[in-house]
Amino acid sequence: MTDPLSATELAISGMKSQAVRLRHISENIANADTPGYRRKLVAFHQQVEFGRATGAVTAGPTRLDRRELPRIHDPSHPLADDQGYYAGSNVDLIVEIADAKEAGRSYEANLRIFEQSRQMGSALLDLIRR
Amino acid sequence: MPDRIDTLRMAGALTAHALERQKLVARNVANADTPGYRSRDLAGFAETYRSHAAMAMRATRPGHLTGAAWDGAGWDGTAGRIVDPGGEPAPNGNTVSLEEEMFRSAAAKRQFDLSLTVTRSSLALLRTSLGRQN
Repeated sequence: MTDPLSATELAISGMKSQAVRLRHISENIANADTPGYRRKLVAFHQQVEFGRATGAVTAGPTRLDRRELPRIHDPSHPLADDQGYYAGSNVDLIVEIADAKEAGRSYEANLRIFEQSRQMGSALLDLIRR
Repeated sequence: MPDRIDTLRMAGALTAHALERQKLVARNVANADTPGYRSRDLAGFAETYRSHAAMAMRATRPGHLTGAAWDGAGWDGTAGRIVDPGGEPAPNGNTVSLEEEMFRSAAAKRQFDLSLTVTRSSLALLRTSLGRQN
């Protein structure tokens, strides 16, 4: 093997990043009704070591969605201003669920690659064992 | 010593090729959601191996010229040519298609199984010629 990173490690890096993404999605969904909450976003990028891309993926820093918060009219709300409006959260549940589905699908694909790479490694060892 | 046997050498090269390809598939799948990432694949084994054998010059003396990197004992993994299989880019510039990667991974696995089977039976043949029951 020429690269330091094997196929299983690459698959693990993918699973880790997707798990981080899923966690952010669940935070967003949990806070869908929190006043003033901004949706959290995470972008992936390739891991770079000594100026070279290793091929593994990492989740970048968390960013907040800068979309404007919706103004909700509810004069009885404790946070309502003089006109009876308060700032809601900019989480869109449909977008979050679609995102969660995509993350789950990518996670499973990585898992399958991991399983197969592991099988290949042990088959190679079996050759020596006999 | 097994390197001298052509079948074993070729089977070993095929194993290395399949592992390298699997690694590229793993890389593509891991980066399936990385913006701007372009999918990559290894050139086919037949192509790579043949070009290797054809490029190697025959040397009958140590002083003779050989194709510098090509006179190694076999296919060393780095000789594989990485190609861009193309594909429709997503809005974020990513060209990885998970279905395509699953297919490639299955192909790599099949190639790998083939090479292992050939290696195993060649070794069995050697054992038999040594007079051992295996």
